[in-house]
Amino acid sequence: MQVKEIFEKIKSGGRKLLFEDEVKRLLALNGVAVTPCEVAHNEDQAVQLAAKFGYPSVLKIHSIAYTHKSDCGGVKLNLPDENAVRTAFREIRAAVADQEPEISVTVQPMAGAGTEVIIGVTTDNHFGKVIMFGLGGVFTEIFEDVTFRLIPITREEAFNMIESVKGNILLKGYRGKPPADRETLVDALLKVSKLAEDNSEIKELDLNPVAVYENGLLVLDGRGTLS
Amino acid sequence: MKKDLQPIFYPRSAAVLGAGDAPEKVGFNIFESMVYGGFKGPLYPIHPKLKNILGYDVYPRLDKVPGPVDVAVIALNQFNTVDVIEECARCGVKGIVSVAGGFGEMGAEGVKLEKRLSEKANELGIPLIGPNTLGFINNDGNFYATFYPLRLIKGGVSIISQSGGMGLTIMQKALDEMMGLNKWIGVGNRATLEFYDFLAYLGDDPTTKVIGVFMEGSEEALKFVKLIREICLKKPVVVFKAGRTKESDYLSMTHTGSLAGPYRLYKDILRQCGAIVVDTVEELVACCKALSLSQLPEGKRVGVFTHTAGPSIVAADYMLQLGCELPKYAPETDQKVLDVVGPNPPIVLKNPLDAAGLGFPAIPYGRMADAVLGDPSVDIMLAIYCLHKNWRFPSWEIIDVRNKWNKPAVAYYVSNVGDSAKDREMLQKEGVPLYITAREAARAVYALYEYKQIISSQAKG
Repeated sequence: MQVKEIFEKIKSGGRKLLFEDEVKRLLALNGVAVTPCEVAHNEDQAVQLAAKFGYPSVLKIHSIAYTHKSDCGGVKLNLPDENAVRTAFREIRAAVADQEPEISVTVQPMAGAGTEVIIGVTTDNHFGKVIMFGLGGVFTEIFEDVTFRLIPITREEAFNMIESVKGNILLKGYRGKPPADRETLVDALLKVSKLAEDNSEIKELDLNPVAVYENGLLVLDGRGTLS
Repeated sequence: MKKDLQPIFYPRSAAVLGAGDAPEKVGFNIFESMVYGGFKGPLYPIHPKLKNILGYDVYPRLDKVPGPVDVAVIALNQFNTVDVIEECARCGVKGIVSVAGGFGEMGAEGVKLEKRLSEKANELGIPLIGPNTLGFINNDGNFYATFYPLRLIKGGVSIISQSGGMGLTIMQKALDEMMGLNKWIGVGNRATLEFYDFLAYLGDDPTTKVIGVFMEGSEEALKFVKLIREICLKKPVVVFKAGRTKESDYLSMTHTGSLAGPYRLYKDILRQCGAIVVDTVEELVACCKALSLSQLPEGKRVGVFTHTAGPSIVAADYMLQLGCELPKYAPETDQKVLDVVGPNPPIVLKNPLDAAGLGFPAIPYGRMADAVLGDPSVDIMLAIYCLHKNWRFPSWEIIDVRNKWNKPAVAYYVSNVGDSAKDREMLQKEGVPLYITAREAARAVYALYEYKQIISSQAKG
């Protein structure tokens, strides 16, 4: 499925929200590395997908009503085997049984730990499309240690974005931890900028978290909205 | 499309509608401002009953004025302002300033009235500054159209301000700093002329060397920053963006009818587009002054020379935080210093170089400053000296050293404004900006490097 087909499918369903699997497909089509992610509508499908991607596995709730997936108990990490996947699937269904008894999940392999960053796109009333970068967790949520640039950005500007947040220290490596792959991060920022620039349909993207490793990175979760 | 603002900034004649003779009224003060500012062309006060204001004949209506009128300043209330626009058009007026409040900043009724005002002005094709503004000044053409009579120092810095009061703060600080102003614009509610219209005009204006902006927020921010991208290659644009806290968004909205954008977003994007971004009026003036007076350094390596440790440490601390470097001086530099003070001096040879008591007299101060600025790893010098009743400031020495090495120098005198005035004038006439606080001096040094960087990176991008 190509980029425009993804938008058509979402719009024809009367939706504005982009699900995680859709955001990841958009990114993958544009050369940004993501953890593979597919939707399972029942327990057996979930098990099949988990086996296909390999263990340990991750299940996440897949619903327009639960965009903050972990708040409702809708994220199950590090599932070692088939039994764990089956249990996790039932637990997610039970958690939202009152609202959506037939809820779907996404299945993806558990990724290794890296330095977590956030890449965002937003459409500002004054400036139009803007790309955002910050370190994950408290750096963004509590300290508001984030930076913005007008889209499109140049390679120099992408590099400068990373340099201009305080949490950048974590990406440089500390206490024996090797430095993160900032070149690939710069590439990812450029690709997200290009994706938002080329597709006026995109209003917001929130890639959170993105795990940056010594070599390469992976987008672990994401969502978005169409304009 | 670029609007032709030349006739409004350089009018041949001007009229004040609603001019009066009561000093407590705005109408009198706009007219006095023009007279006091030394405008050379004919001035026409308009009032239905009065005969004479400040020795000038008063006319009952605009169409009774004996000559053409290029600029009409309307000092009437908001309702009469709207009514009088057509008369201005009939009389061939080329630009209007509307100072009245009670428009877009005052809720739904005001918004409607402002819409009528802007529609009329646009339909008639007359550029209108305001409403809800202090007015504007073209110091280059001696045209002072605000209701605060002032006389400013002439120079190359032009200011665009979204707030009259902050714009006045900038002008008062400029007087203290002896910073020459070229044009000053209070944009007010921006009914027909936006920030970017003024920015575009000043970008093309050959007498404007540096543009300073105070802004709260603008719905047209994208056009504004895109223009900065072009203009910053020709001249520096320094921006003070207000509204850091979430609460201040509300204050700005009620102030000028525009919602101030999130601070970090503005700051980052302004920088991305080649603006120098500051957080206070002091910094704004410090940067504008340095950029209008001084040559640019080749790099960010600062040589600090002082006879007093504390101020040099504080200034160095600010400069390092901003991104400057303080290089180690070469052995030849140390030798030159020893040649001045003799062997085994009671000073440490490092950067900042603190000559202590040996730096009190201006002549050896100058010889050591010469060693510092002459050092091959120094791109710019910060020279520090303390005001003393019996010792003179080493201003000539600093100027000589700057001339000899053809590298920029910034002076920081520990002094009050008044007692350093003569030296300020002397130094700044020769292109060496003087400051009396560490923070302003440090910010100015960094701004010179910052602009050098902006030119090279924006030219590439």
